[in-house]
Amino acid sequence: MRKNRLVAVTAAASMTLAMGACASGADAADDGGPSTGEVRVWLVGTDTPDEARDYLKTTFEEQNEGSTLVIEEQSWDGLVDKYTTALAGSDAPDVVEVGNTQASAFTSNGYFSEITADEFEELGGSDLLPGFVEAGDWEGAHYALPYYAGSRAVFYSPQLVDGEPPATLDEYVDAAKDMYKKGKFSGMWWPGQDWYNALPFIWENGGYIAEPADDGSWEAGFSTPGGIAGLTQIQDLMLNASNAPADGQETDLQVPFCEGKIGYLSAPTWIQWSINAPEEPESDDGVPGCGSTYGGDLEAFALPGKDGGAAQVFAGGSNIAIAKKSEQRDLAYSALKIMLSDEYQSIIAGIGLIPAKVSLSGDVPQENSIGAAGVEAAAGAKLTPATPKWADVEAQNVLQTQFTRLANGDDVEQVAADIDSQIESILNG
Amino acid sequence: MSSLATEPAAPPASVSSPPRPRRRRRLPTVPWLLLSASILILGVLTGYPVVRMLVMSFQEYERAQVMGMPAEWVGFDNYTAILTDSAFWAVLGRSILFMLVAVVLTMVLGTLIALLMMRLGKGLRLLVSVGLLLAWSMPPLSSTTIWGWIFDTQYGLVNNLLTRFTGERWFGHSWLLDPLGFFTILTFIIVWGAIPFVAFTMYAGLSQIPGEVLEAAQLDGAGAFARFRLVMLPYVRTIVTVLVVLSMIWDLKVFPQVYALQDIGGDRQKTNTIGVYIYQMGMGQGHFGTASAIAFVFVAIMLLLSIYYVRRTMKEEEL
Repeated sequence: MRKNRLVAVTAAASMTLAMGACASGADAADDGGPSTGEVRVWLVGTDTPDEARDYLKTTFEEQNEGSTLVIEEQSWDGLVDKYTTALAGSDAPDVVEVGNTQASAFTSNGYFSEITADEFEELGGSDLLPGFVEAGDWEGAHYALPYYAGSRAVFYSPQLVDGEPPATLDEYVDAAKDMYKKGKFSGMWWPGQDWYNALPFIWENGGYIAEPADDGSWEAGFSTPGGIAGLTQIQDLMLNASNAPADGQETDLQVPFCEGKIGYLSAPTWIQWSINAPEEPESDDGVPGCGSTYGGDLEAFALPGKDGGAAQVFAGGSNIAIAKKSEQRDLAYSALKIMLSDEYQSIIAGIGLIPAKVSLSGDVPQENSIGAAGVEAAAGAKLTPATPKWADVEAQNVLQTQFTRLANGDDVEQVAADIDSQIESILNG
Repeated sequence: MSSLATEPAAPPASVSSPPRPRRRRRLPTVPWLLLSASILILGVLTGYPVVRMLVMSFQEYERAQVMGMPAEWVGFDNYTAILTDSAFWAVLGRSILFMLVAVVLTMVLGTLIALLMMRLGKGLRLLVSVGLLLAWSMPPLSSTTIWGWIFDTQYGLVNNLLTRFTGERWFGHSWLLDPLGFFTILTFIIVWGAIPFVAFTMYAGLSQIPGEVLEAAQLDGAGAFARFRLVMLPYVRTIVTVLVVLSMIWDLKVFPQVYALQDIGGDRQKTNTIGVYIYQMGMGQGHFGTASAIAFVFVAIMLLLSIYYVRRTMKEEEL
């Protein structure tokens, strides 16, 4: 998701500069804005496949004679910071993708244009992923709609891992630790800053991130017995099953995996395309994978729960919204409509992401174990606390920092207490 | 200085003379005209943001206010909040400590390189100058990224070499995780980037010292160190003062290097310096009011440093 960060940022920055000049030519909006113009769509990261981007651009320009659509790619790093200022400025983009857990920071502060009830019905209504619709609502109104949901699965290569996938979370932990004992081998890969993969361990053991107390304040739950049990298990894996850097990020996972030194790799399902890519990238900006070795026979399973079945995993994904400051709302809406159309969403589903519409989930390829694992995991997906302040917890990298301490061998109860006090001070601040 | 503004015919103010009928002072138009462009630019680019920041520091200014909600006045609440926050003092103390170490290292190493350049032949001096210029012209973000690669936990050059030479396994050793390690690497990056300026300026200053003076000192039996301390340093004292104050300001407000290095690894809470702390508070969390208050306290500290510098240069000019 964050590969070539520097390049992406630079490219995005220069694009923004270049496009800024064109976009400001549009007249000020009185109602729906001008009937022709240039619509700027901000997509984040590389998750949206090129096929979908091309489809969006072509279809939009066919439907809106005389208008053009430009996609400007943003980076996940520092996205909240960037949107805070970019969407408030006079040169705001028209349609923006935002992480589902970040959406409420903007919906609650008037950054997005409201999607009326009629428009909501036209765009899919009750067929839209309910959890993501909720993430984009504020005080009963719709502001950001689902774009796609990511899903996580545990990847492995049968060349390196023998036997059946583990049936429970404890078996999974034991299997990973056994593989680590072989030496110079990571039973699983756990870079210290990776908090997405940590949440299932908290939830499965009965802990929670934060829940509203009776008086309306938020109470963090990492120090609960369940939270401590989860954190202990996490630290055990970080120290006794993984050779990943203690302060590393969850980026470019295909690199260590392709070295053949990783047993289980829990990652977003789209990572498969990076892993089984050819060794020599076909395009100049391609990233080398290992399609002829460990990527060739890639398998996956849904992370097992404590009592079997699929674990509750973090429901990552994106929402899509129209910027309040868009000067051409009608055109922006027309782009949004294409992005939530069945055709567009089927392309999204085709690469293994969970589409924004429930009725299209059958379009996720199921013929191999990866697609099946992704859909199974998505069924048990959970969200972060539903408060606009959660985006600040993410922006401050609270969990990344504290999990880094765990990976470094710090005392679990101390870390748990620190996480709780930080989260509470932000959410209740 | 002040004589510039008065007419050349008028006698200097300090000379005591019988009171003359006071002539109406004409406003000197040409100097002001010449100044107007820079005043305008400074006013728009520096003056307005500073005033805006000061206003915001007395308001509750969050993301909603950025989108146009009216901001509420809260008096000194933002200031009380930060001045009673131990996190703020920790960040400030850390920044100052880092600044002190970085400035001392920069000055010492920069001066040594300047002294070296004085002794070098033409060809070698050119080589050193080119090397210094390259380091000086490297954008901070690029250099931080490259230093980050050098110390990379998994594939870094340092870990690779250490593994090769010590025979022990250094792969997976994180240099940034320990705050002390983080600041050591940060010091490398900052000092490495700041030395060229100090070295060039010191070289320019040192090479202006008349050779006879040094020769005389040598004949009088002064050793190399005594000559440096007793003859060369007094000659370049003003330059050293200016360099120290400028370095202090630069190292205190350092931002891109810390921000980028935190992205590479390390514990943000334990490695925040004042620049990134303001950024996180404002841009990251949307507390623009609090961030402005911190920034203003910071501006006050910087002003104290600058005033010393400005007064110093004024004095030197008067001499």
